[in-house]
Amino acid sequence: MTDPLVQLVGLTKSYGAMTAVAGIDLVIGKGEFVVLLGPSGSGKTTVLSMIGGFVEPTGGSVRIGGEDVTSLPPAKRPTATVFQDYALFPHMSVRANVGFGLYMRKVAKAERNRRADETLKLVGLDGFGDRGIHQLSGGQRQRVALARAIAVNPAVLLLDEPLGALDLALRRQMQEELVRIQKRLGTTFVHVTHDQEEAMSIADTIVVMNRGLVEDMGVPARIYRRPASLFAATFMGENNLLPGRVAAVSGDALTVETPLGRLLLAGKADLGGAVQVAVRPEQIYPAATAPENAASLGSARVCELVFQGTHWRARAKTGADGEIALLLRLPPEMQPAVGAEVALFARPEDIVVLSR
Amino acid sequence: MRGLRQLPAILYMTAAFAFIFLPVAMLVIYSFQNGPLPVPPFKGVSLRWYDALLADRKLMAAMGNSVLVGVLSSLAATMLGFLAAYAMARRPPRRVALAQFFLMAPISVSYLIIALGLLFTFNLVGVGKSLLVVGIGHVVINLPLCFAICYSQLGEHQANVERAAQDLGANDLQALILVTVPMLWPALLASFFIAFTLSWDEFVIAFLLSKYDTTMPVVIWSMLRSGLSPKLNAAGTFVFGISILLVLLVELLLGRKRTS
Repeated sequence: MTDPLVQLVGLTKSYGAMTAVAGIDLVIGKGEFVVLLGPSGSGKTTVLSMIGGFVEPTGGSVRIGGEDVTSLPPAKRPTATVFQDYALFPHMSVRANVGFGLYMRKVAKAERNRRADETLKLVGLDGFGDRGIHQLSGGQRQRVALARAIAVNPAVLLLDEPLGALDLALRRQMQEELVRIQKRLGTTFVHVTHDQEEAMSIADTIVVMNRGLVEDMGVPARIYRRPASLFAATFMGENNLLPGRVAAVSGDALTVETPLGRLLLAGKADLGGAVQVAVRPEQIYPAATAPENAASLGSARVCELVFQGTHWRARAKTGADGEIALLLRLPPEMQPAVGAEVALFARPEDIVVLSR
Repeated sequence: MRGLRQLPAILYMTAAFAFIFLPVAMLVIYSFQNGPLPVPPFKGVSLRWYDALLADRKLMAAMGNSVLVGVLSSLAATMLGFLAAYAMARRPPRRVALAQFFLMAPISVSYLIIALGLLFTFNLVGVGKSLLVVGIGHVVINLPLCFAICYSQLGEHQANVERAAQDLGANDLQALILVTVPMLWPALLASFFIAFTLSWDEFVIAFLLSKYDTTMPVVIWSMLRSGLSPKLNAAGTFVFGISILLVLLVELLLGRKRTS
C-alpha cells in the first residue's frame, strides 16, 4: 500500500439502541480506489457519510492526511461527495454546477469557467456547459455530479452508490470511465455499492461490510478466491458451503472431515472445531476436465440443468442421503442429463476453510 | 351508446358546477346591468357601474388598503412560514412535532375567534384598531398555510442538494441564498399569492380590527346596507376577478414545478 491517506480508528455510530457502525478500523492509501461493499443496512453508507462529515460519529475518529477531521464540517474537509440522487442544482447551468465549488473558493469567473469546462471534458461532457440540468439524461446528470465533485480537486472523492439509478449497459460503461478518471487524476476514491460485480470491476481494494463491521478487506481476486469470512464467501458471487469438522491440525495444514469425504486443506482452525468448507461452483470439476492434483469429492446426482452458453449451470445432490445440495458449472461440451451420477473433483488450494 | 351511458355523469357534473358557480355567474352578469337594479330582467350590457366604481373614492381608497395589507401581511407570512419550515425540515420529525402542531393549529380556529382574541389583546396593550392590526391578523391566519406549502417542498432530496452545496464549501447562509431559496422560488411565490388571495377576500378580521381606514370587503359590506346596486356587483366581480387571477397564477407556478 502507498502512503495512508484516510484512517478510521474505532469508528462507531449508534442511533439510540441501533448500532449502524460497530467500531471500524480502516486505512485507505493515497490514490487507491476503495469500494465499500455490503448489503443494505451494513453500515457502508454511514461510514462514507462519516468520512464526508455529514454524520457525526458516536465514537472513534476520522483522520485525513494525518489531520483529525472528526469534528470538522463537510466544507472544511478535503473531501467531495457524489450523491446517490446526484443532488445537482436544478436552477443553474451545467457549467455553474461544476464551477460552484470554485465559486465558494472565490476563484475568479473566467478561471472558474475555464476549469469547469476542462472538468466537463474529462467526464465526456465537452460542450454541455450552457445546458440546463433538466435537459440532461440520467447518465449525463451522473457525469455532472462527478464533474462538480472533482472540480474542487478533493484529496478524497466519496461516491455514494452513484451508479444505482443507471441501467445495466450504462452502469458498465460508467464503471470503466470511473476507473479511467480515477487513474488519470490519481485521486483517492471511496465508492459505496451493494453490487459485488461492480465492486470487482472497479476496486483496487474491496472492503466487505456486514452489520456495521468489516468482514474482509483486500484485492478483489483474493477476496473472491480466499474470502476471510463466511459472509464474504457467500456475498461475493455464488458458493457452495459444506459443514466440516477439523480432524487433524499440522501447522497450516488441516484435515477436515466433510460429508464429501476427508479433505487435506490449507488453513487455520482449532482441532475438533466445527468449520464451513467453501468451494466455488466453477472450481468443482467432472472427471473429464479435472486437474491433476484434484481430490475426489465423490459423486453427485444432477437434479436441475440449465445451459448458459459458457457452461451448464447444474444443481446436484450428494452425501449419504442426498442431503447436501451443490451448485455446479459443468463444461459446455459435456452432455449431462438430469438424474445422472457425476463424479466430482476439486483442487485443495481452491477450497477455503472458514471458521467464522 | 357510450355517450348515453355517460349522460348521468355529465348531468351530475353540470349540476355540481352550477351549484358552485351560478351565484358568482349571476353576480358577474348583473354587474353589467344597464339599469339601476341588479335584478331580472337583464336590460343589456353596460360598463357604467364600473365607471361608478372607479369614481368612488372611498372604494378606491379601500382597494389601496386591501393591496397594502395583502402585500405586507403575505410577505411577512411567507417569510416566517419559510423560515419555520426550513428549520423544521432539517431536524428529526419527532423533535419538532409539537412545534409543528402549534404552528398549524391556527388553521382550525375560526377567524372570528382569532379576531376577538386579537381585539382583546390589542385593547389590553393599548393599541387601537388599525390596518396594521388587520395585517397582523392576516399573518396569523396565513402563516400555517405558508408554512405547509414551504415544508412540503423541503424533502430529503432538497436536503441532499443543500448538503452538496455545503460539501463544496458553502456556509449555511450561502447554501440558503444560492441554493434553497432559488430552488423554492415557485413555492415561495405560490405561498405569497395564496396568502394574498385570502387576505384580499377576508372580512371578519378586517371588520372587527379596523376603524376608519378599512379594506374592500368591509366597504362592500357597508355599501350593502344601503340596498342592492349593480355597483356592488361590479365591486364584487372585481374582487373575485383578482382572486381567480391569483389562483391561476399559483396553479401555474406549482404546476410547473410538478411537471419538471
